[in-house]
Amino acid sequence: MKRSLFGRLWPNVTAVVLFIGCVFPVYWMFATAFKPTGDIISEDPVWFPTDVTLEHFRTATDADHFWTFVTNSLTVTVLAVVFSLIIALAGSFALARMRFKGRRGFVVGFMVAQMAPWEVMIIAMYMIVRDASMLNSLVPLTAFYMMMILPFTILTLRGFVAAVPRELEEAAMVDGCTRVQAFRRVILPLLAPGLMSTSMFGFITAWNELPLVLVLNKDIEAQTLPLWLTSFQSVFGNDWGATMAASSLFAIPILILFVFLQRRAVSGLTAGAVKG
Amino acid sequence: MTVQTERPPSGPVDVVKPGGPDSGGPGPRAAARLGAFAPYLLLLPACAATVLLLGWPLLKDVLLSFQNLNMAQLIQHVTEWNGVDNYKEVLTGEDFWRVTLRSILFTAANVVLIMVLGTLVGLLLARLGRRMRVTLMIGLVLAWAMPVVAATTVYQWLFAQRFGVVNWVLDKLGWHSMADYSWTSSQMSTFFVVTVLIVWMSIPFVAINLYAATTTIPGELYEAAALDGAGAWRSFTTVTLPFLRPFLYATTFLEIIWVFKAFVQVFTINGGGPDRLTEILPVYAYIEGVGNQHYGMGAAIAVLTILILLALTAYYLRIVLKQEEDEL
Amino acid sequence: MKRKLISAIGVAAMMVSIAACGGDKGDEGKAGADGYAGQTLTVWVMDGSSPDQWQKDVAAAFEKKTKAKVKFEIQQWNGIQQKLTTALSEENPPDVFEIGNTQTPAYAKTGGLADLADLKSEIGGEWTESLNNSSVFEGKQYAVPWYFANRVVMYNKKVWADAGIKDTPKTRDEFYDALKTIGEKTDAEPIYLPGQNWYHFVGLVVGEGGELVKKEGDKYVSNLDDPKVAAAMETYKKFQALSKAPKDKDEATPQQGEVFAKGNVGAIIAMGWESGIAIEANPKIEEQIGYFTIPGATADKPEGVFLGGSNLAVAAGSQKQELAKEFLKIALSDEHEGQLAKLNGVIPNKESLQTNLKGNVVAEAAAPAAAGGGTTPLIPEWAAVENAPNPIKTYMTAVLNGKTPAEAAQQVEDEFNKRLSQES
Repeated sequence: MKRSLFGRLWPNVTAVVLFIGCVFPVYWMFATAFKPTGDIISEDPVWFPTDVTLEHFRTATDADHFWTFVTNSLTVTVLAVVFSLIIALAGSFALARMRFKGRRGFVVGFMVAQMAPWEVMIIAMYMIVRDASMLNSLVPLTAFYMMMILPFTILTLRGFVAAVPRELEEAAMVDGCTRVQAFRRVILPLLAPGLMSTSMFGFITAWNELPLVLVLNKDIEAQTLPLWLTSFQSVFGNDWGATMAASSLFAIPILILFVFLQRRAVSGLTAGAVKG
Repeated sequence: MTVQTERPPSGPVDVVKPGGPDSGGPGPRAAARLGAFAPYLLLLPACAATVLLLGWPLLKDVLLSFQNLNMAQLIQHVTEWNGVDNYKEVLTGEDFWRVTLRSILFTAANVVLIMVLGTLVGLLLARLGRRMRVTLMIGLVLAWAMPVVAATTVYQWLFAQRFGVVNWVLDKLGWHSMADYSWTSSQMSTFFVVTVLIVWMSIPFVAINLYAATTTIPGELYEAAALDGAGAWRSFTTVTLPFLRPFLYATTFLEIIWVFKAFVQVFTINGGGPDRLTEILPVYAYIEGVGNQHYGMGAAIAVLTILILLALTAYYLRIVLKQEEDEL
Repeated sequence: MKRKLISAIGVAAMMVSIAACGGDKGDEGKAGADGYAGQTLTVWVMDGSSPDQWQKDVAAAFEKKTKAKVKFEIQQWNGIQQKLTTALSEENPPDVFEIGNTQTPAYAKTGGLADLADLKSEIGGEWTESLNNSSVFEGKQYAVPWYFANRVVMYNKKVWADAGIKDTPKTRDEFYDALKTIGEKTDAEPIYLPGQNWYHFVGLVVGEGGELVKKEGDKYVSNLDDPKVAAAMETYKKFQALSKAPKDKDEATPQQGEVFAKGNVGAIIAMGWESGIAIEANPKIEEQIGYFTIPGATADKPEGVFLGGSNLAVAAGSQKQELAKEFLKIALSDEHEGQLAKLNGVIPNKESLQTNLKGNVVAEAAAPAAAGGGTTPLIPEWAAVENAPNPIKTYMTAVLNGKTPAEAAQQVEDEFNKRLSQES
């Protein structure tokens, strides 16, 4: 009796502890952002912001060109994700459904491409873009971000495509659809969760990228949010309030996207993860 | 987000219709020939992008690694070939090998922690009641979704020497020497913070995916194991583990790549310090190349870094090559 | 080979300027019938180095004279070398930029800076020679001196009064005793001195008459094992022991001004502008702030200080050489150079302009030490040393954590020498 109570209890207790561990840093970020400076720099932490202030958010958004950064970040990220999805969809369909010479090579090739340590190739990329006179533009940035997420997108989508029962596609073709139509009407809708979950990964990667934009775009008009976020640490020393407010603003789109897409993505996970 | 895995040996297998997909369309011969090209056409954009946007920088990087490229050469666009001097200097120095060893240990420690803890949390998710499970999932998703730049900033704040909440808690728990402890003052404490950050960020991916994978294990397998008199541990090792093996391989592969390349976390937390003692390979390449403005040298280290990463993952890539052979 | 290229560029730059002197009009980047109307000059200035008012006034004067516009872009010190190097290699580099005095020789050597010899002869007759030293490399003028500053003791009058101290100290020992008294009689931290305030350490070395590097053959090598350097470090250590500040951080993490703003710190070794940080964090602190010259070993000679400063340079790759020089003439004119000195309390490039510092408490505290101030070695190799992780900082932390100066010097010697031997 005692044992079974313990047996029922420990998973829940562990879960609560884990939950706190997971959430606390996120909570602390938001809490710090809303606290007045006196409560942030205090000998005993103020666990709950009672005296809420928006001052730090004002500092963060009052930075010059804040909205330019937002627009640039959204443009670059969304375009990179969309292009990589389109390109990857075609490629992953071939890899999942077709038999052809060199298929293995392609799969392994994309796996190797996925390993590319971009940070260490920055100067090579910089010199290419510089010599092509394309600095301070969003175009190379979008292209490189697209490439950073492309291999992962292809490989993951391949799993999702493979998980769509072949019979469905064939049935559609029996009904007189061409292969392309069958793809559009049958496979694509079934791939929706897969597309969403892969795009989340792509979105995060592109949204976060810092070293490349730092060296490519010196013109403030072509810069993105990560540069804005890191600027707070140097401008204000450790103005934790403003830094945390900026971090919060930076994280919110991703957090919303995740929570919103999470359920649909997880329902697709099963298929994608295991049947690959 | 999911893991792409290779076909599990005992998992559900697609029914492959005889004839294969390419003969599926009832078109004339011309269409069939076109069909033979179709996969290549479909892959063309992806390959073109890879060659242009990855292959070219890679080639450029290799070329730079044979050059003497410092401030003056960069500013004046001068190309000065210096053969294998950069490689000679890197490979004969102690630093490179020390950093390589450190990188491998760092990656191994983190990946083991992530995989073990992630798997345990995933299995825990499967055991929990619905409400608790959803709660924990939300927590995991929040940690997972934190953009790395923001997360790193938050961790600096949590572990700040003065007014950092971690030091306060340790002090209150009775460990008073930690009251004003500087986490960035030593190699091990810096690695500790970086590891906590990376593990925190990475566990959700493993746990949630693993949980999703366990839900697809057919119940009959457990029933059969129970009939054979298997206990909880045995049914875990004979049913769950084999079923999840391909998934675990694939996840480990991804985690190795991600941890090995954890540039932002290591660089932001302490810039590879103190005393260059926490530089891992990508950070080392960056500091030597961009930081000290020896771009040719940095390029050589970058090339070596890529080779080492390839070597680390060669085992998995070979498995993939083999499996792909059997497929379709 | 590199040498040749540099001189070729120098010649090219000179030809451009000669052509411009001939009154050649209508060319790209030169004055047309309508002056330079329609053109915009890009100027990089470092964060906090020039007040908005100064920028506005200079821009107005510049526009009035040349009909061209000027765009100031504010830069952060952190990572500036990497940014500047790449920028100078681009098609459109910043036309004029601020560059740290200790970094100037390295950039002069790269060929990225335009020769400003004609400007020196035109407006530089009265420049203080010691301040112009960093702009001259191998006999050529690669930059123009802009402003200079040194550290002072910024102290909290209330804390000092609470400890019963009436006069500001005149010698190093008096300073130390005063801080000790604060520690004993009040709850305040006597001094907030992080372990890596390396500019202060350089100042102490200057005060001892020491050098950080020495020449061995044709190469520079570490001189940290010199007893004079060790003596400077011992002084630093003695004062640092009175502080709870981290031994492995510099004065910017966290900003010591913010720590000072909390009101329970007796003193910091700071630049004058750091009071602004403190006042922003806590406006009430303003009336408690006082300054005095860092006391030296004896009352007749203040402590050695690091004479930090900035020069202005023109990119060799700029398309607007003439316009850039017009800008420099206006920015460094007595009116605006004087204005900058007045607004920021910095030391101007001419002694005659120092009258602008009258009544500025910071500048008056700083000025006595400036004469005995010095810099890091003005050699191109130095720039590499300052890149993170700076071996001087490593050395300081090692000593503060218990190593002897000799051991610590030994520890960083390899890294230090490696950087000094790097080709730029």
